[in-house]
Amino acid sequence: MSAERIATDVPARADIVVIGGGPAGLAAATEAARRGAAVVLLDEQPALGGQVYRAVEANRARGKTLDADYAEGGRLVDAFRASGALAIHEASVWLVEPDGTVGFSRAGAATLMKAERVIVATGAVERAMPIPGWTLPGVMTVGAAQILLKTAGLVPQGRVWIAGSGPLLRLYAVQALAAGGQLAGIIDTTPPGNRRAALRHMGGAMGALGELRKGLAWTQAIRQAGVPWITGAHDLRAEADDDGALGTISFTADGARRSEPADTLLLHNGVVPNVQITRALDIEHDWNQTQRAFRPRCDAWGSTSVPAVMIAGDGAGIVGAAASAIAGRLAALESLRALGRLDQAARDDAAAPLRRALARALAIRPFLDALFAPSPEYLVPAGETIVCRCEEVTASALRQAVSLGCLGPNQLKSFTRCGMGPCQGRICGLTVAEVIASARGASVADVGYYRLRFPIKPLTLGELAAVHAPADPTAPR
Amino acid sequence: MSDTSRDKVTEAGVAVIGGGMVGSALAYGLAKRGANVVLLDEGDIAYRAARGNFGLVWTQSKGDGMPAYAAWSLASAAAWPDFAEAMASAAGRSIGYEQRGGLVFCVGDAERDQRAAQLRRLHNQRDDAAPVATMLDRKALHDLMPRTPLGPQVVAASYAPGDGHVNPLYLLRGLHAAIRRHGGRHAPGAAVTQIVPTGGGFTLTRADGAMLRADRIVIAAGVATTRLAAMVDIAAPVRPQRGQIMVTERLAPLLPLPASALRQSAEGSVMIGVSVEEVGLDTGTTVKELARMAARALTVLPVLAEARMTRAWGALRPMTPDGFPAYAQSSTYPGAFVATCHSGVTLAAIHAEALAPAILAGRLPDGFEPFHPRRFDVRTAA
Repeated sequence: MSAERIATDVPARADIVVIGGGPAGLAAATEAARRGAAVVLLDEQPALGGQVYRAVEANRARGKTLDADYAEGGRLVDAFRASGALAIHEASVWLVEPDGTVGFSRAGAATLMKAERVIVATGAVERAMPIPGWTLPGVMTVGAAQILLKTAGLVPQGRVWIAGSGPLLRLYAVQALAAGGQLAGIIDTTPPGNRRAALRHMGGAMGALGELRKGLAWTQAIRQAGVPWITGAHDLRAEADDDGALGTISFTADGARRSEPADTLLLHNGVVPNVQITRALDIEHDWNQTQRAFRPRCDAWGSTSVPAVMIAGDGAGIVGAAASAIAGRLAALESLRALGRLDQAARDDAAAPLRRALARALAIRPFLDALFAPSPEYLVPAGETIVCRCEEVTASALRQAVSLGCLGPNQLKSFTRCGMGPCQGRICGLTVAEVIASARGASVADVGYYRLRFPIKPLTLGELAAVHAPADPTAPR
Repeated sequence: MSDTSRDKVTEAGVAVIGGGMVGSALAYGLAKRGANVVLLDEGDIAYRAARGNFGLVWTQSKGDGMPAYAAWSLASAAAWPDFAEAMASAAGRSIGYEQRGGLVFCVGDAERDQRAAQLRRLHNQRDDAAPVATMLDRKALHDLMPRTPLGPQVVAASYAPGDGHVNPLYLLRGLHAAIRRHGGRHAPGAAVTQIVPTGGGFTLTRADGAMLRADRIVIAAGVATTRLAAMVDIAAPVRPQRGQIMVTERLAPLLPLPASALRQSAEGSVMIGVSVEEVGLDTGTTVKELARMAARALTVLPVLAEARMTRAWGALRPMTPDGFPAYAQSSTYPGAFVATCHSGVTLAAIHAEALAPAILAGRLPDGFEPFHPRRFDVRTAA
């Protein structure tokens, strides 16, 4: 591992600012810096790799690779280190203005940086899985558990259940078992019909045999470890013990209600684009019915309606790590063209092999999308199930607000405080849209999404005031 | 949902166009008095000042240059306690209303002198004896709020005992619930595109093609008022003026009284305003304004430096050229009214309790001549 380049002096300007240190961001920054641009990568994490390759360098140094895919993360980081791009870690980006101004905070100090182009590579977030009891202590997301595993080598102790659907659920189970963890069981909520629907896309998926084999190997490893795997489970609930923390889980499978003691329940309901920045920029978003998520509108390079802002990777629609890295390079090439560093012919020449590789990487996507299509039960929670964790707003309170005339999430937010907490609707946004759509009998596309505004991350008033150009801060308006 | 049918002419006694603070208060006041009311509201995305405002019930700066407006604001503040009770009952919860006085902080001597002069002017323009607000020096401020750690640059404040604040979002929710409770209809997703006077009444066309016939109409459409008022031959110039606001996480009680551009809600979050920007129909936020507002707030309350802000938003005030409300009945098409202002929260009580009955009676209250938007008419003013 090369000596870490720590940003001591943060430059005030850059040709390109890349937001996010996952595959898309690393590849975008590398491509642009290699071709001579002054590139700054702002990463919220303490080390490069994003969610998928989190702490990849530290784990490699300790001789831990987790799996073969993870090694690819190491190659991306190495290329970035050699490219001349500057990484600024633990930078929480709270502002992107249409002119390319990026506001971020590190250790409580805010900075504004001006870029000619901004490449948003903020990836995916886990889709909420709002079951009764999902806010109890002892219940967390698979993604959060994976962070503990990758950064601290921690696996939860006691009776650990994993519930939900999606590739990450399997991957985490394999990683946890390899790290010496014990699993009480996996409750697979994937609707039984998905498998049949997915088979229709098998033809395309055959082009990505490696990916298919990987998935099968995960499944096999879990079965070999003797972990009970309950399929077709529904009506999942988490119930509290006397101490108020998780004590029991219950679900229905094979027509029977089952109740199991549990110390930890890890939930996962797939991933969706992280749209906080693109929403706050008022970029148009389109509803993707297959992935049941909104994605920002952009062209094949990642260009948006805001000329200075591009999107690459899962943030533009879930495509996976390999495709994200390619999308990052494409966005970099177009940024360089826009900056006059590359003519159009050179851009297109460089892009041609990337586009072919992208098509190969995306071949398996329709299969995965169909196989892991989320169960409607967990998209539209019932009754008193909490939807908004921050403000503890229940599904029935949302339905009542709809009956009061709330047609969409924004009026509903103002009537119920749903989405007004510190997470600013990041967790509940899609659930709220789904609940309103179901209550109105409308499509989620028509219902829409929260209108978001910068700052998209909570920051202290002291930080914010510090970026005020103080001719006279006391001057009245 | 009520009234979402297409291509079907429905009937109403009074159609109120605009589901914001002004339209909703009027629809409530009308429904409460037995009128057959429909409130035509827009959809989820709209220029809704009602969803973005600061929540002051405020009299102490209102009406410099128009005593009628000062008096109207004071009358509304007086009607607010009863009105708030009705709203809380309809909303099924507290709407966070408090009337324990309000402040305008003065940073530095120049601000203090300016503020004192403005209060004198406001008082001189009115003919009753009691001033609405008085100046408090630093010591009096300390006596009023001994536990509030004001910054050293705060030298004074103006203080109006009748001022207060409310959660404007719960107020709007209460209004909509109260309209229903009194038999009124609330039609969301019903933006009005056209008004045609027909045979002593009005035919309204909605954006979705549905039509509605009403004996009377009230145009309370915020920044869309100008366009709609022209259809009933009223010139009512209204432009959007952006204000940005931010809010902090919930904090321990810090500021017992609301202040201009700084108030702590019943839940503990601190709201910080406010910008005045002429940017057209843009509800975005800018770090330039937010940083300036934060710096100003820290001058007043330095301990806020460690508070985390959780959200910011921009909203559009419907502004007339002089900033005062505009109320009128069309002389060409009697039965068509216009009501617009940027003080929808403060005036909600009086809109419901005095303006609504006047509209029902078919004529605006006595003494309303100053509010008529013909004051902006260049030809008559020249």
